[in-house]
Amino acid sequence: MSPRTAIDEAKKGSAEILILALVERRSLHGYEIGRQIEEQSGGTLRFTLASLYATLYRMEDRGWLRSRWVEKPGQRRRCHYRITDEGRKVLAAQRADWSRFIAALGLVAGVKPA
Amino acid sequence: MIDWRGVVIQEARATGAADLDDHTIDELAAHLEDLYQAARARGTGETDAREEALRALRESRLAMLKESRPTRHRTRRLSGVSVAQSLRSGLRQFRAHRGFALLAVLVLGLGTGASAVVYTLVDGVILRPLPYAEPDRLVSLWDTNVERGVNHERLSPVNFMDYRGLPVFTDAAAWWRPDVNLADPGMDPVRVRAVETGANLFEVLRVRPQVGPGFPPDGPLFSPDLVAVISDRLWRTRYDANPGLVGKTLAFNGTPYTIVGVMPPRFDFPGEIDVWQRSRWDFRQHSRGAHFMEAVARLAPGVDREGADAATSVLAARLAKDFASTNRAWGLRLVPLLDEQLGYYRPALIVLFGAVGLLMVISCLNVASLLLTRALGREREMAVRTALGASPWQLVAQLLAEGTVLSLAGAAAGLLAAAIALPLIVAHTPMPIPRLAEAAINARVLGFILASATITTLVFGLVPAVATVRRKLTTDLKSGDRAVSRASRTLYHGLVAGEVAMAGALLVVSLLLVRTVGRMADVPTGVGRPEVMTASVQLSGRDYAAWPAVVATYDAILDHLRQQPGVRSAGASNVLPLDSGWRVPFAIEGQSAARANEALAVQHITVTDGYFESIGARMVAGRFFNARDTGTSPPVVVVNEAFVRRYLADAPATQAIFTTTATGIGPLGANLVRGARFQVVGVVADVKDMPLGQVDEPAVYFHARQFPFRSMFLTVEATDAPAAVAALRSTLRAVAPGIPLTDAQTWEARFRARTAEPRMLMTVLLFFGGLAAVLAALGVYGLFSWMVALRRRELAIRLTLGARPSSIGMLVLRHGALLAVGGLVVGGLLVRASERALSRVLFAVSAGDLASMGAAGALLLAASLAACLPAARRAMRVDPVEGLRAE
Repeated sequence: MSPRTAIDEAKKGSAEILILALVERRSLHGYEIGRQIEEQSGGTLRFTLASLYATLYRMEDRGWLRSRWVEKPGQRRRCHYRITDEGRKVLAAQRADWSRFIAALGLVAGVKPA
Repeated sequence: MIDWRGVVIQEARATGAADLDDHTIDELAAHLEDLYQAARARGTGETDAREEALRALRESRLAMLKESRPTRHRTRRLSGVSVAQSLRSGLRQFRAHRGFALLAVLVLGLGTGASAVVYTLVDGVILRPLPYAEPDRLVSLWDTNVERGVNHERLSPVNFMDYRGLPVFTDAAAWWRPDVNLADPGMDPVRVRAVETGANLFEVLRVRPQVGPGFPPDGPLFSPDLVAVISDRLWRTRYDANPGLVGKTLAFNGTPYTIVGVMPPRFDFPGEIDVWQRSRWDFRQHSRGAHFMEAVARLAPGVDREGADAATSVLAARLAKDFASTNRAWGLRLVPLLDEQLGYYRPALIVLFGAVGLLMVISCLNVASLLLTRALGREREMAVRTALGASPWQLVAQLLAEGTVLSLAGAAAGLLAAAIALPLIVAHTPMPIPRLAEAAINARVLGFILASATITTLVFGLVPAVATVRRKLTTDLKSGDRAVSRASRTLYHGLVAGEVAMAGALLVVSLLLVRTVGRMADVPTGVGRPEVMTASVQLSGRDYAAWPAVVATYDAILDHLRQQPGVRSAGASNVLPLDSGWRVPFAIEGQSAARANEALAVQHITVTDGYFESIGARMVAGRFFNARDTGTSPPVVVVNEAFVRRYLADAPATQAIFTTTATGIGPLGANLVRGARFQVVGVVADVKDMPLGQVDEPAVYFHARQFPFRSMFLTVEATDAPAAVAALRSTLRAVAPGIPLTDAQTWEARFRARTAEPRMLMTVLLFFGGLAAVLAALGVYGLFSWMVALRRRELAIRLTLGARPSSIGMLVLRHGALLAVGGLVVGGLLVRASERALSRVLFAVSAGDLASMGAAGALLLAASLAACLPAARRAMRVDPVEGLRAE
């Protein structure tokens, strides 16, 4: 397994916590979510259009997110995503899980937070 | 602009994800657009930026999105977007265009407010049932006479008793209206409106007194035992609502009546009555030829008006045969009581309702055309929205939402206006419209406003929607031109033409009323001095029990009057012009008995000397009365021209001898001349003795000293009205203290009151007509401004090719004139279609009156031309170069 593939695998598992964390404070539309993940991860984490939206739809379907069309004068209408109460619980749980997981990685494999 | 939706759809098809839902496609398209814009912002070239976005799409496996959006989400979201968001965006639209929104709401509020007010009046006055049990079964009875062309004459009491016996009626009650003076110790005497009625009136109506037992329920219809019931109004205003009044006596015309009841508040049947006296005389002991009773009947269960009509016709025919001298050609007519009570107001309110409906439609069309121009201006916006992924349904929802916001605002403004205007109208209406005071905004009125708001919403949403959705949007985007679809243009023209047509109809109707009022004012009344002061006086009570006392008092009153400062002449008559005298059988000496079988009855009117002079009546032949005509001088009469035409055409009128069967008119008047032969001494030009619109009848004038009446109208011709009133007051105080002076008005004012209803209708309709014309002119102005702006390029080309500016201006004006003429034709047809309703409020004018049509047409044409003048001037001033460059 190449290092690239390792990250790809981790990405699959981490997509949800990343999205939840981003929309925790304010609602964002799909492009902003994708861009912020990419920018804030320094380009390490990137989703294809299909996987980003498939994830968003799945999360909405589970009740973690709620979406809403917003129209602004002179702009194309956009679908904004906002976290739900259910989503907040999931985010808290996942944060705890990932903290433990990263701590374990540090202890066992010598991985340090960047 | 790149069609990202199309790109997404194409890619989805190519990768086997063809059935992506709209939501997903929209989101992906938005995402691609953002990627593209971000790339462009970094300075990437158009092609590269596009390529970058496309790459992001291609590296996706779109198929994984195919089923990831459950259907329920899709539908929920769609409706959610439509309602709340559309409404919000509608509000935003109007916040952004305040001026437009204000104008639209104003116009709509005007239309809604006016129609809400009129609907409230219609609801309160016409639609609400009468406050009696089973009011639909109540009818009023009127005599008709085909030979005389009368269909609303009062009944003879004897005939009434015959009709009352028919089994088609549960019961019937009749009354007449005596003049009653009410005198109480320590209080000023007053004249009260009274009826003397059969004791069963309240049982027929099924109304009971609020205080006291009322007339004895099983007692006689008529009785010399004098009892009376008074109104709540009189009870409160004069007797402080003292319940002890019942059982006491009040002096009506000096005769004590025992009060047996007080009617409930607001009950004043048959209209503004304060005293109901039980009849003291037997209705059967009277003349079949004397028509002075009014009557109401309750139809028996299971009998409808047609059935009752049939039964009364049979009886009328029999009476006409059995009593030919009095009943020939007389018949009976039944009128639903509510119709009777409303009289002129019912057709007037219906016409008004129709008019305000037109006004409402005009204001709707006006706002619709405003919205349409905006929609046409927004066609690019709509095209962009469509390209950005809005479905046609969403666009329509958007426009409907804007329509809703507008309609609701308009309805609210209208409701507010109605709520403010209604109390003012009720308080300031110059005439006693029956039941007006009870008109109020209620649930039905709110429902009416809501219903009209719903309709306007649909119109406002759909008109621009039709204009928008029918467009070929992609074409517009590409060309960016200002071409407007033919459908939109036709629609706009149609809306404005509709406005002009409705305004035309309203103008025609209001001018018809103007003509009606004019014709009424032009009716010759025979009164040459309209400024003459008139006032009613009745000599009743113990002091005037004997007829010589009545005669002497009126003589004294007139003598005194004539000596007052400013008074030029004075007289008296028992009826004023426009009212009729008592119709009594008569004969002319020497005329063959061939006419003996004819129902010969003429109006008997009593006047004093000086009467004809004071009202300015014209003498045709012989002389008027003078001071030498007394109770002991030879009996004399004056006849009118109608009498001469009918009965004295062959011989000199002033040689005829007139004989009458009248020995007196009940307790009101008495023939003091021994014997019944009267010399005709003079002929007076016809003084109108019938209501407006009816032909004058033959009339004979007696002198008050030979045929006196207790109740007379004094007529005073003086330097001015205050002088006349002062003279009347001081005279009455000096000569007949304790006798009230009632109802002092100039003849002019009385005549105006007679025409007050059509005058009022005319005023309101003129207001509506003017408003409609202004709104229509605004519509025309809007249309032509828009048209010229739209055709700048075409006009520029024409001018470049050598067209003269004046011919271009004419082109516009001709178009405007065409619109006005077309509108007038349609408006005229509308008026003709409502001819039947109109005929009931018109007088001596037909709904097809050409003068009104012509005047309305001229007004409309002038308004239309004025409205398209600015556009025409703009068209003439188009700078060919500028016009061509504009596009």
